[in-house]
Amino acid sequence: MSPPNLAVDFAGIRLKNPLVAASGTFGYGVEYEGILDLSKLGGLVSKGLYMTPRDGNPTPRLAETPSGLLNAIGLQGVGVRAFARDVLPRLARHDTAVFVNVCGDSVEEYAEVAAALEDAPGVAGLEINISCPNVKKGGLAFGNDPAMTHAVVAAVRKVTKRPLIPKLSPNVSDIATFARACADAGADGLSCVNTLLGMAIDVESRRPKLAFGTGGLSGPAIRPVAVRMTWQVARAVKLPIFGIGGISSAADALEFLIAGATAVQIGTANFVDPGVYDRILAGLSDYLVRHGLGDVREVVGTLQMPERA
Amino acid sequence: MPTNRDVLLVERQALGGPYFVLSFGHPQVAREGRAGQFVMIKAGLSAEPPLRRPFSILAVDPERERFSLFVKAIGPGTRALCALEPGQPAQCLGPLGRPFTAPADDEEPLLVAGGYGIAPFLLMSRELRARGATARVFYGGRTAAELQLREPFAEAGVPLELATDDGSLGFHGRVTGALEAHLDRGGDGRRPRLYACGPDPMLHAVARLAQRRGLRAEVSLDPWMGCGVGTCLGCVVKIQAPEQERWKYRCACTEGPVFDAAHVLWPGEERSAAAEAGR
Repeated sequence: MSPPNLAVDFAGIRLKNPLVAASGTFGYGVEYEGILDLSKLGGLVSKGLYMTPRDGNPTPRLAETPSGLLNAIGLQGVGVRAFARDVLPRLARHDTAVFVNVCGDSVEEYAEVAAALEDAPGVAGLEINISCPNVKKGGLAFGNDPAMTHAVVAAVRKVTKRPLIPKLSPNVSDIATFARACADAGADGLSCVNTLLGMAIDVESRRPKLAFGTGGLSGPAIRPVAVRMTWQVARAVKLPIFGIGGISSAADALEFLIAGATAVQIGTANFVDPGVYDRILAGLSDYLVRHGLGDVREVVGTLQMPERA
Repeated sequence: MPTNRDVLLVERQALGGPYFVLSFGHPQVAREGRAGQFVMIKAGLSAEPPLRRPFSILAVDPERERFSLFVKAIGPGTRALCALEPGQPAQCLGPLGRPFTAPADDEEPLLVAGGYGIAPFLLMSRELRARGATARVFYGGRTAAELQLREPFAEAGVPLELATDDGSLGFHGRVTGALEAHLDRGGDGRRPRLYACGPDPMLHAVARLAQRRGLRAEVSLDPWMGCGVGTCLGCVVKIQAPEQERWKYRCACTEGPVFDAAHVLWPGEERSAAAEAGR
């Protein structure tokens, strides 16, 4: 029997497998050259990019929490032009889909960053970052107001033909509303979800453990929340979904696929084990064989939901 | 090139108190590891604690394809590592980071360690010996119980100058006090070159001392680290080289952990206040 098919189509982009490295956990991808074979990844999403370089937040920026990681990096980055000039040509040597995470302090800046990439070769799609909880302007402010979400996505839609994938915030009461706002504004797919707004306190000093005060929680701790939101979004819109949140094993990835995600993004697990892709791919193949399935796409959206009493 | 692999614990040596020397099989770290470089390592795949931990490479054995670490079991990650039995696996990425740079022939290498900051200096002493140079190692802690890595230096024939805050062993006072006493005696006559690893306040003190005396100094910083390869941007430190108008955040994992002490912007000593306020 031939090995099961792991390739998926995501908003018209062929991914050789459904594993994509999540923004902010994989640098610009080139940092992992020599450590792992980037061509094994279905794709990768760059660290968030503005028009200009950014310092990010003061330190400390990281704190470990139970089965989780709290961060407030604050979108430190090289800016979109340096990325297009220095990084994209290097990424072109690897056979993987490159997504760029687009940030902005204003609706206009999002469109400007997207426009700056319009002629750059080697970009498969744009992930629109409307959900970073760690910046004072923009970020979450666009992601927790459906009208603002619509405005950002529509503005970027006007300047690019590339697939647009807004990254949704979990810090909202009804994520389906935001998924529909994105779909109405012309999104081609959705990333579900960014980090949960959190806080950790050093009780001795009575100060927050992060210099920014609050941070974004990621890792296995948030997985049940992210799976639930992926399921809600999949029921609300027809768009393909990247399921994201604490995935570090094949079973974790399968939860999101079964809930309705077309593919998944691996985040915090990149920090814990750069070899995580090999383990998950092997586990996905094992699962498909064990269930007599020849194609990973047969799993997507197959949740057997019991009748609620 | 850093290599990520499953490694097996081959030997565990309990020193006094919470201190252990752990040896693992890892051909690339054993062959390529240099003093000041580190590995990211974690025992098992459990989600608790989530992240790997960085440790300076204590020693390498290229022939037996092993390296060892000096570990103080103080939290969940270090305790899990020190509870490994020989033959049990851990996950390890290394060697990582920039090593200490070698001294010139007319420089006297002075290695200054605070607590478990001693770790990189055994390998450094051996590297210096391979170049025909002898290291002088200053090893300080609060009490004698914190100075548990004396034996390997004795075996390697490297003399240690000990210092304890409480006077229970060696010089009574800070390790920088023992260093100053040596400098005041004129050292060995060559131009002193300082290398330091330990808690931030000690490193800051070494940096001030070096600046005051016009000495070159390198410090190995140990901020909270997430990934070890420059992607999480959690371990950044403010660095400003003399030719730069303003500081930049640099990753301790890839652009350090060893930095020129004169380039580090220590807390409360930020040189370019105007530039600071401008961001």
